[in-house]
Amino acid sequence: MSALFTPRANGIFKAVLVILVAGAGGTVAALMGYARVPYGTGQQEQIQQPVVFDHRHHVQDDLIDCRYCHTTVERAPSAGIPSTELCLNCHSQVWNKSPLLDLVRASWFSGQPIPWVRVHRLPAFVYFNHSAHVNKGVGCVECHGRVDRMAAIEQVAPLNMGWCLDCHRDPYPRLRPLEEITSMTWMPEGDRAQLGRELARKYDVKPRTSCYTCHR
Amino acid sequence: MPSLGLPIYGQQSGLDARRWRTLEEHDAGAPPASREFQPGADLAPEGLGRRSFLQLLGASAALGGLAACQVPREKLVPYVRPAAGVVPSVPGAYATAASDRGYAVGLVVTSWEGRPTKIEGNRDHPASLGGTDAIRQALVLDLYDPARLAGFRHDRRDLSWGAALAELGALARAHEKDQGARLRFLVEPTSSPTLADLRARILRRFPRARFDAWSAFGEGQAREGARVAFGRPLDAVHAVGAADVILSLESDFLAHDGDPLRHGREFAARREPANLNRLYVAEAGFTVTGGAADHRLRMRSADVLGFARAVAAELAGRHGLGALAPLGAPAAGPHAKAAAAVAADLARARGRSLVLAGAAQPAAVHALAAAMNDALGNGGKTVTYRESVVFDGAGGGVRSRLGALATELRDGAVDTLVVTAWNPLHTAPAELGLRESFPEVRSSIVLAYREDETVRAARFRLAQAHFLEAWGDLRARDGTATIVQPLVAPLVECTTEVDLLAAFAGVGQLGAYRIVRDGWRARAGFGPPPPPAAGREAAASPADTNRGVPRDPFELRWEEWLSAGLVREGAPAPATVALDAERVARAIAAVPAPAAGLEARVVPDARLLDGRHSENAWLREFPDPVTKLTWENAALLSPATARRLGIASGDEVELARGGRKVVGPALVVPGHADDSVTLPAGYGQRVQGAVGRVAGFDAYPLRPADDPPFAAGLEARPTGRRVLLAITQGHFTMEGRAIALAEDASRLGEAAHRLDELRGAQPTIHAPADYSKEEYRWGMAIDLSRCIGCGACTVACQAENNIPVVGKDQVLRSREMHWLRVDRYYEGSPEDPRSVSQPLACVHCEAAPCEYVCPVNATVHSDEGLNEMVYNRCVGTRYCSNNCPYKVRRFNYLDYRGTVAPSLKILQNPDVTVRARGVMEKCTYCTQRIERARISARNVGRKIGPDEAVPACAQACPAEAIVFGNLNDPASRVSRLHGDARRYDLLHELGTRPRTAYLVKVRNPNPELA
Repeated sequence: MSALFTPRANGIFKAVLVILVAGAGGTVAALMGYARVPYGTGQQEQIQQPVVFDHRHHVQDDLIDCRYCHTTVERAPSAGIPSTELCLNCHSQVWNKSPLLDLVRASWFSGQPIPWVRVHRLPAFVYFNHSAHVNKGVGCVECHGRVDRMAAIEQVAPLNMGWCLDCHRDPYPRLRPLEEITSMTWMPEGDRAQLGRELARKYDVKPRTSCYTCHR
Repeated sequence: MPSLGLPIYGQQSGLDARRWRTLEEHDAGAPPASREFQPGADLAPEGLGRRSFLQLLGASAALGGLAACQVPREKLVPYVRPAAGVVPSVPGAYATAASDRGYAVGLVVTSWEGRPTKIEGNRDHPASLGGTDAIRQALVLDLYDPARLAGFRHDRRDLSWGAALAELGALARAHEKDQGARLRFLVEPTSSPTLADLRARILRRFPRARFDAWSAFGEGQAREGARVAFGRPLDAVHAVGAADVILSLESDFLAHDGDPLRHGREFAARREPANLNRLYVAEAGFTVTGGAADHRLRMRSADVLGFARAVAAELAGRHGLGALAPLGAPAAGPHAKAAAAVAADLARARGRSLVLAGAAQPAAVHALAAAMNDALGNGGKTVTYRESVVFDGAGGGVRSRLGALATELRDGAVDTLVVTAWNPLHTAPAELGLRESFPEVRSSIVLAYREDETVRAARFRLAQAHFLEAWGDLRARDGTATIVQPLVAPLVECTTEVDLLAAFAGVGQLGAYRIVRDGWRARAGFGPPPPPAAGREAAASPADTNRGVPRDPFELRWEEWLSAGLVREGAPAPATVALDAERVARAIAAVPAPAAGLEARVVPDARLLDGRHSENAWLREFPDPVTKLTWENAALLSPATARRLGIASGDEVELARGGRKVVGPALVVPGHADDSVTLPAGYGQRVQGAVGRVAGFDAYPLRPADDPPFAAGLEARPTGRRVLLAITQGHFTMEGRAIALAEDASRLGEAAHRLDELRGAQPTIHAPADYSKEEYRWGMAIDLSRCIGCGACTVACQAENNIPVVGKDQVLRSREMHWLRVDRYYEGSPEDPRSVSQPLACVHCEAAPCEYVCPVNATVHSDEGLNEMVYNRCVGTRYCSNNCPYKVRRFNYLDYRGTVAPSLKILQNPDVTVRARGVMEKCTYCTQRIERARISARNVGRKIGPDEAVPACAQACPAEAIVFGNLNDPASRVSRLHGDARRYDLLHELGTRPRTAYLVKVRNPNPELA
């Protein structure tokens, strides 16, 4: 009677074992990796908005401060998405016949809001508060990047918990004077971390890392 | 565990005052040994076994991997025109008022982007003082009830409000020719000045029409008692805090009668050792007030008058109050000694004592209480009388309030009946025959919030707006008015009582806002409004504050009233009264002697009142403050009576009186009066929704045809069937250790030093973490002496923290989700025990046993000492719950959210994560409120103020028994309480170092009754 398994079977068996073990580990590693690469965090995604709003033009050409539109960033959890009325503060006078703004005018006359697409998504169990950061010297650019150079808003930071904690554990290199909070180009002379330490004392910056700081 | 002289639950102590929670536990002599985990605690969720769960897990992981690439992007939807005063993501708060038996309870309601989520008391309102009760807390749930009525319907034709208004207008015009002789209104008792104006206008237009007021458990007897004593139907206003000795004649004044929230606050302030009052309660059923009493004298409701007369006779005979001599009658029976002691105590505290009578007691008892207060010199000191601001129809008992209308209906003398009272077909005594005569009325118009029996029988059905959607006004007992302002536009098509009555007054097109506002303009003495603005200004909403200086001077006053929740006008002075003792004596003589036999007492339910909150799931699942029964009612009777009748708890019994029968479960309640059966009303309605249908029986058929709502002649016999009662009291027991402590004031001194064994440092091999350097060290103190056990904290916590309702089946498996429970311990004999109520939520141990056992670090400690529960890490091992000695962790056994209606989703507090199935949860000390306070304080560079971070339970507590704050601030209230001589730690011997400290309850018994 011939052998049930040929000598080759040993090799196949070993290969299958390796594939199974590596596959299991690899799947976990791949998922963990996926959550960390820009593709997984959504950093590379190009997002089309209903209105072609160009931050480059508004920030660089018109020198409009972030807070002109994002009105509640200093006093509320949400920075605030401008209302149609706010857009029309200017655009009832300038570019008031531009076809690019058809939807904005339609929104005003119909009373239907403009459905912007959210770019910076945090999980539902994260309670982020803009005012807590802006009032302690964390500038817009630290998380949102060079918005003044973006044709369409994209996510530049991974927005995962490790990234949050990096700053909560060592905020100093990311602090700036409150006068420069919305500046896209501010750079200090000298050691930024050293300045950050001084600002932290001045603004009483004490980031916490307890879970309930962000999760409730 | 060292043995202490203190009475400790589960231990034989020097005082032998062992505490127990259920009769089974008392009879067994020890808490059941194996009850740490409830039956079913280890069961897997049904419907989905482990195998199928794993299969689904595999499948969903495979599918989920694909789906994850395509998570739909959320939309950001800004305002087109920003609403004035609304900052997205920042909640606002608006003052308004809810009606409690027609009177205002001032409220402040939290609103997120125009969406009310949480109700709190208004600190400046005299009937709230910042506190709320469980019912007021739960009202916000009704707003989002998917089963509420919507739209307007006439004989199966759906109408728009415009069409309905036209039909109502035509109907009204048709009644003009006979001056409304065949037009009748049946309304809820109400203090609303606007409704009073509308009634007057309607009666001017239809002089022969009539308004009757009906609610099943009104205050008619109290006002009738004042009429007997003083000649006019006045409201008695009790200054509970000014009284050193209080005698309650079946008055549940801490939970139901009068202004319970104000009474609770004032009473609690007098329960601290330095300033103790003494409370005697004579009652049949065990009430919240009875639980707070120093001496609870149990007697049938019918015997209360006899006891009161015995006290009066003692006061007259021995203490020189001759005025009471014709009213008293010497005591007979078991309470003679108590009557003498009570009288002596009252006489010692002349001008500082108080006698209160319960709403269910006949007018003679109220009149006698008034006479006793008068003789004791309490008038103007602890009790004042005020002209009643509530419209109560003819007042008095059932017959005088409803009898005339019932007769007219029977005789076919009514063509149009407008009903705004809650479900009279269910609540009116069957003898009046409303069920038969009401459907015969040609035009019956019913304004109701939900489908009920009366709505079903009506020709014309109008959906009622929730008070958070409606304009209106109400007055408090002392006359203070509040404008009821809406927080949200009506979620469904509905209308208000103001609009409905306005249609009959011929001003229906004005709308409630105009009517209320113009009424107050006239009342405040402002001239007519300036002519309406034209153009854009006219289009602006009334809430639009971007209009600069208003053209109308009244506007500023109005805005002031709305934001304060109070109309600041001179409150009317108390009435001056003169007692007519002769009439009181005649009234007492007219009360028939109590009949022998089993007494049936139909009482308003602690949660549903007369049944109007029957569809409110929060209130249904809220355990009754005394019996801890959820979801349903039961016939409550004393252990001795139950033995005599051969009935045990959970037995189904048939109760018959006067030819009417009801069938329902019995529940043996320690401390209930013998030969008396308490029947909470409001359950088992003929037309019910999904919530009401769960359980309960209708007790109204046993109610006597006229007041008082109790009478002898009840027959009870077991049917032989059993009913499973979902009672939470036996759940989560703490294995008989030092838990709820109570001590007599006279023994407090010697007990205090022994309390040292229940606080302070415990030997430990771990060096305790040092929190003294932190800026904040959060802690809580619960004063059992102040706590009255009403349970408002439980529902407040539910509303604040998105806690699901689980249903009767799940409560039976002890899977209720309330983060904060109020334990009620009895002490003494089952026949006549005393009780201690103890609110218990997570105590935030510094050395938390739950944290050591979590395999995934889902429960950890914060730098400020909070025991944090991280939902997104939790994998549901439940080890933490098993290791928690306080049994305060709650596990989501099922997906309690999966099937929730869309309208209920917008009720959720957006500041608190909605937990999924398989996740553990527990009290967080309302961390979202701490963080909110922290961020707003740090944004402007200051520390969190002393009372800035207040958890929902502490905010709701009418008695201010729960105090929260920073233990690292030596001046904070909570620090002072942690250092109090009465402070002790729960299960101190375990070395958990809880952040919640308890203060021993102090009792002030009369040594003469020892």
